This record gives sequence, structure tokens and C-alpha cells, in this order.
Amino acid sequence: MIQYFVSILTEGAIFGIMALGLNVIWGWSGDFDLSYYGYVALGAYMTLVLTIGQPTPPAEYILGLQLPYLVALLGAMLSSALLGLIIGLIALRHLRGIYFSIVTLGAVYVLYVMAGQYVPLFDGYNGLFGLYNPMGAALGLDFYTYPYFFLGFSLLIFILVFIFMARVSGSRFGLALRTLREDESAAAAFGRDIYQLKLKAYVLGAACGGLAGGLFAAYLSAFNPSAWSPIEAIVLYSAVLVGGRGNIKGVILGVAIMIVFIQESTRFLPGVPGYPAIIPAAREIVIGAVLVLFIRFRPQGLLPERRYVDRAPRDRVQPGVDALSPPASGTLDRPALPPLLATEVAPETQVREPLAQDRPVVSTSLPAILVVTGLYKHFGGVAAVDGCSFQAPKGQVTGLIGPNGAGKSTAIDLISGFKLPDAGTIVFEDAAIQGLPPHRISRLGLIRTFQTPREWPALTVLENVIMARWDPKREALWRGMVGPGRVQRATSKAELDLARAILAELALDKVSNERAGNLSGGQKRLVEFARIRMAAPQLVILDEPMGGVNPVLGERMAVAIEGFIAAGTSVIIVEHNLPFIERVAQHVIVMSQGAVIAAGPFESLRSNQSVIDAYLGEVTA
Amino acid sequence: MHEVLLTLGFGLVTASILSLSAVAFTLEYAVTKVANLAHGEILTIGAYAAYLVHQSTGSVLLAALGAAVAGGALALVMHITVIDRFVRRGVGTMSTLIATLGISFVIQNVLVIIFGAANVAYTIPQGAPQQVGPFLWTPVEEEILISAIAITAVLYVIITYTKFGKALRAVAQNRELARVTGINARLVAAATWFLAGLVAGYAGFILAESVGTFTPFFGFSFFLITLTAAVAGGLGKPFSTLAGSIIVGIALEFTGGYISASYELAFAFAILALVILVRPRGLFTNARRTVFE
Repeated sequence: MIQYFVSILTEGAIFGIMALGLNVIWGWSGDFDLSYYGYVALGAYMTLVLTIGQPTPPAEYILGLQLPYLVALLGAMLSSALLGLIIGLIALRHLRGIYFSIVTLGAVYVLYVMAGQYVPLFDGYNGLFGLYNPMGAALGLDFYTYPYFFLGFSLLIFILVFIFMARVSGSRFGLALRTLREDESAAAAFGRDIYQLKLKAYVLGAACGGLAGGLFAAYLSAFNPSAWSPIEAIVLYSAVLVGGRGNIKGVILGVAIMIVFIQESTRFLPGVPGYPAIIPAAREIVIGAVLVLFIRFRPQGLLPERRYVDRAPRDRVQPGVDALSPPASGTLDRPALPPLLATEVAPETQVREPLAQDRPVVSTSLPAILVVTGLYKHFGGVAAVDGCSFQAPKGQVTGLIGPNGAGKSTAIDLISGFKLPDAGTIVFEDAAIQGLPPHRISRLGLIRTFQTPREWPALTVLENVIMARWDPKREALWRGMVGPGRVQRATSKAELDLARAILAELALDKVSNERAGNLSGGQKRLVEFARIRMAAPQLVILDEPMGGVNPVLGERMAVAIEGFIAAGTSVIIVEHNLPFIERVAQHVIVMSQGAVIAAGPFESLRSNQSVIDAYLGEVTA
Repeated sequence: MHEVLLTLGFGLVTASILSLSAVAFTLEYAVTKVANLAHGEILTIGAYAAYLVHQSTGSVLLAALGAAVAGGALALVMHITVIDRFVRRGVGTMSTLIATLGISFVIQNVLVIIFGAANVAYTIPQGAPQQVGPFLWTPVEEEILISAIAITAVLYVIITYTKFGKALRAVAQNRELARVTGINARLVAAATWFLAGLVAGYAGFILAESVGTFTPFFGFSFFLITLTAAVAGGLGKPFSTLAGSIIVGIALEFTGGYISASYELAFAFAILALVILVRPRGLFTNARRTVFE
């Protein structure tokens, strides 16, 4: 009986490591990777060929070394990481969702066929065997005491992996992975190289799988293709799902329930006489059904992913201030923030004319922050953007208007790198940026928002704001490992205070610990504004920020836009609400049928016949 | 040259079974945007149903009918009990996809409990091979080919010319927009799944007929090829999928004949990986470029 428990616990520890690796790929990075068990298998195979010595004919396999087990474990991790890197490089480049899953399914199948059919590799369907009690002889352990030692060894490695994952989970790297899972476009818009980040997570997960495979090979003392069925991958997925995707404690709970309890404990139940297949089949039915039921009724798992709760803002909220009350007389009823980038602001941008009252005439001497020339993009036979050229002056608000289908949104996608232009140049701050990927453009200081708010729903409002700032140093994986305190590793005191202050300024401080996905549409818009304040780019392109927003909130947005200018962020705003454009923009560009038909101060456009024909006619008539 | 043509002939038989399965899969995807990983089990159920009906009545025609009805019923049940509920509850399409994997395991193992995991031999006298033009086909293979062409033609007419087909295409293109124009999207989706189930059930029957044996896992392994064909052609696009199936079916037969049957599926996946990398939305579609588009 005690041997039975030892054996089950050892398996639990090994599967726990596997599930923690899968959690990096699926739980955090969000990719439904069907080749994961292939990394476990490769780790097992590599451990065997690195330890069991030369094959005796007719068996054949590669390497056949007699390295120490610990070295072989390292080799197993490295080979799985390398395979993960190769598959990830191919599959993560352009593929997402189901396409990614299918290619990884294909990859694991090719691997499976290679292992089973190509005999010189791992001896085909015979598989490999002969790794008996590694390290046992050196430590003087006999047949009876060895299982206890190996249980201890597996648990030790499991605990090390767990501690490592706990650190990753709370790190900024871990948060960055979650931004990919929650909304990839927003992650790229705020400077994250999604390909590189996803690849890092994928290789990390694969290495973890390889390590577990190396332990598994020692536990089984053998490995062959029959130990490698699709059900293994499904059981792992069900464990992560049931326990709580993204929560490492939940993942371990899931392993305890789905693998230790359901999968392994029933393995030794007495069979139904005459029907040997019933117990294993019933077990798989239970696993399949649990998977379906949890996805429907408790997708977050038994232990949902927990988020950082910021205690500080509670104390500082002024009593009686309604989170959504309009600011008194168009200004904020609390001390305004100093310009966030005060030291970097060029002198001319600090001289700011009042907006609504006496409007400044756009001076041609103002330096342009963005110059678009001859931009062209077609979809099939339709030219969505057709020779579009315009300039946006530095330190001002430029309105981009035009009827539906004028090509405004496509133009934004082209400028921000989300679509590739067919022709044309885009010069931002004297650098040509056309054709660059979104994260590169974002890192140069040009950030865009989207027509529908793209918050990271499962992250808190505060986390949404903090993660708007791309911090390459802090987002490195190793940075999450060192330093005291979880918060200190993920962010800095100054950054946290800045985020709190921005949230307070936008009256979002009461919801700063709320998950952003639970906010109302208007609040989500404000979160986008807070993120822009945090990122403090040189130029922001706001894509219809007023969509679905009530007038009271609109007034706060106008104030926030003035705040952007004060902080040194020039603004391009796409909007259908013309009074709003008139209120905030000093300079207006009118697009129609993919090209710019007029540009200038709002008043000058009222008398422009082509603008009236194209657009304003239907409004002012 | 002769041998090449012979292989091509067998390839056409494989392709015709494959295209029925893949077109059915693509229709399921089109109206719900859920890749049904339990699609293979519809074929499996079709094979078992055909076998049972054939055993009790001795009629091949009834067996074929039984396969189709069983497949249609299973697909409809899957849609009503899981897919539709999940889609309406806002469960994401990726999560629903994972759920279909769970369904697949449940069905496989229910079949194991009822019928056992062993091979069921399904031997239908194939008849002597006949020379048809340059090809060599048995009467059963001819039946498979002709029925597949006929079913594809019927599907073509339904999708292109009927009111239901129009509604189907509308739902496939934009479910919300279809709904606001007064189309009962749920009904159309359910009917499409039933139709796809009929076709897939029948595909299970002809697959069992041509292979000669089956197990509870037989649909799942064929599903991997189905997936390859559908995605290589263009997921959610019936006619692109058809073209993809013909190419993959013939390619498989040539790999099996000239390299090794055991590498067939691996080879199919290798093709797929290449296709997806070059044209992520399939060979016969006109989409391209970055992950954001």
C-alpha cells in the first residue's frame, strides 16, 4: 500500500511539472498547443539515449551515451527547448487560434510517426528501456529504498519548478504574457513584440515538458510510442482547466484531481469481469465530460487566476467624489498633474493657446510630427486608401474626419503598422516608419487606440495602466527572479504612484482594482486614456474615442485630450462627432474615398465646397 | 505511366471520401466558427450504424441511409446540447474547440464500452476490379465515386440556389448581420449541422466500406486527414475545401503508394504546415499578411 502511495505521489510530482509547463503556454500566453506532449516525449527519449549506453543489436537508436542522469536531464530540457524553438519559430510567426493548434497537432504527429517508424532514431515501436534507478547505485540505495529517494528527488524538482513559476507569475514578464492572452493587438500597440514574447513562453514551457519527460523516463525506466497517446495531452489540459488556468496553485490542484485522483487511482480498481475495457473507458469518459462541463460552467477553474490588489488608493479617495461625476466647469476638481514629460517637452509645445475660444490659425512654421505621403492600400479591387497625404503638427490636436468608408481607419492601421501599405511613405519624427511592425512603431513613440476599447479584460484597471508602459529591462524573464517583494519586481514605486495619480485624475481610482473587462463602455474608454497618459508617447492616434460615450464623459475626454497636449503628446483624433472635433482640434484633415480632400482650421472647411459635397453637406444642411 | 494512372484512380476514391468528410466539417465551421474536433466521431457513428443496419436487414442501401441518419442525428445533438449553448453563452470559439475534444473522447469511449475496442470487420463483397478508361475500380469504388459526386452536386445546388443556402452563406459571413436581417441564425446553424452530419455519416459508411474494418477510434484518425484537407483548401469555404480535399486525397495516395503508407498522415501534415505558412487562410482563398489582419 505504501509503495502504491509513493508511486502515485511521484507521478503526481512529474505530471505537476508537465502541467506547470503547459500553463506557461496555454494559461499565460494563451496558445492552445497540441504538440506539448511531444516535448515530454522527446525529453524522455533523450534522457534514455543519453544514459543507457550503446544499443545491442537488433535494437538501434541514436547516441547511446552513458552520461550521469543529472546531465541527461539537462540534455532533455535543452533538446525539448530546441524543438520548441523550432516549432514555435514556424507556428507562432503568423498563426493564431485554430490554425496554430492545427499546425502543432501536425508537428506532434510527424514527431510521433518519426519516433515510431524511423527505427534508427529511437528504435521504433520497441521503444527504449534500461534506465534503472538512476543515481541509486552511487548513493548505495537498494531496490526497496530507491522509490522513496526518487519520490524525494521528483518532489524537490517539482518544488523548484513551482517556486520558479510562482516568481514568473508575479513578474512583469508574466504580466506581459497575460496581455498577449487578453488582447494581442493592444499588447502590440503598447510596444510588446508578441512573436518574441510568445516564443519565449513557448520555449520555457517546452523545456519544462522536457524536464518532466526526463523524470518520467526514469520513473518508467523505459519509453515507447504506446506511452504517448492523445489522451495524455487531454488529461493535462483538463488538469490545467479544472484547477484554474493561469493560477499555478490551481494547476497543481487540477493535477491532484484529474491525474492523481481520477486517472491514476482508478488504474488499480478491480476490473469488471469479462469487460476489461470498461474501467479505462469510463475514466476517459469522465475526463472528457469534466472538460466540457468546466468550459461551460466554470471556465476560470476551481482556483481562478488571482490579480494583484492595490491597497493604497483606498485611503486617498476623497469622500463624496462620485467616480463618474462631471468635472466642475470643464476643469478637474482636483489638482491637475504636472506635465508627465515636463523635462522632455520642447519649448514651443508648452505655449498652448486656449482651445475652444480664440482658435489659433495653423501656422505652417509649426514642425510636423507626422508626415504621410502618397499612402496606398487596396483590398482586392477596392482602394481603401488611395494616395493619402497629410501632415500633423507637433504639439497640437489634429482632427481626421470624413464620411464612413473614407479610409480613415485603414489609414490608422497603416500608420501604426497593423496593416502593411502597398505604397507610400510615413515619416514620424524624421524617421521613416512605413512597413515597421506595430511594436516598433509604438516604441518610437507613436501609439494608437482602437475603435472598440481594447482593454486586457482579466487584468485590473491598475495593471492595464501600468502595462501600457513598455519597460524592456523590467520585462526580462530574469528580472522577475531577483529582488525583494513581488510588486517591486514587477514595477517601481514611482511607476505605481504615477499610475495611481493618473487613475485619480481620470476619476478611475475607485475601480483601480476592478478587472477591466467588468467596466462600462465609457469607463473602458477612460482606461484607454489613462494608458496613453502612462505610456506618454510623442503622438497618439485616437480612433473614434467618442463612440458610444455620453456627453458628460465626452467633456472629461476633451479635458483629458488637453492633458495629453500639456504632457507633450501630440494628438490625431478620428471622430464623427464634429462639434467635439471643433472643440478640441486646431487643425482638421478631411478624407474622402481614400484621399485627403482638404485640410486646415475647422472654420476654413465650412466654406470648402468639396468638403461640403463629400461630408459636411449632410450635417450642416 | 500506367501505374501513375492507377494510383491516380485510387487517389480519386480517397479524395471523394475525404471531400465529403471535409466539406461537412467546413460547413460546421462556417456557421458556428467552431472547429469541431469531434467531427471524426460522426463518421465513426456512421460506420457503426451502417454495420448494424446491414447486419439486421442485409440491405446496403438501408445501411447507407442508416449511416447518414445516425450521423445527422449525432451532429444535431452535438450542436443543440453543446455548440449552440456555448456560442450563445459567449464561450469563446477556442474554448468551444477544446470542449469538442472532450466530446470526442466521451463518444469514443462510450463506443468502446458498447462495442469493445477491437476491430469490427466490415466486409462487403467488393466485386472484381473493372477497367474504366485508364483507371481500375471495383464496383464498390465506383459506387463511392458516383455517390460522392452526386452528393457534392446536391450540396452545390443547396448552397448556391436555395433560400436555405443563401441563409447559410449569410450566417457564415456574419452571424450578427444575418440575424438583424431576419434570418433565424440558430435554426440555420442547426440545420447546417444536421446536413453536415448526414454527409459525414455517409462518409463514415463509405470509408468503412473501402477500408473493410473499423474501431471506435477510426473516425478520429481520418479526421486528422479531414482537417488537413479542409484547412489546406480554406476553412469555412465549402468549394475551397472541396478543391483542397481532391489535392490532399490524391497526394496521400501517391505518398502511400510511392513512399510508405505509415508516413501518409505525417506527409499530409507536412503539406499542410507548408500551405498554412505560405497562405494562412488556405490555398484557394484570397487573404494574406500580418496576424492582425
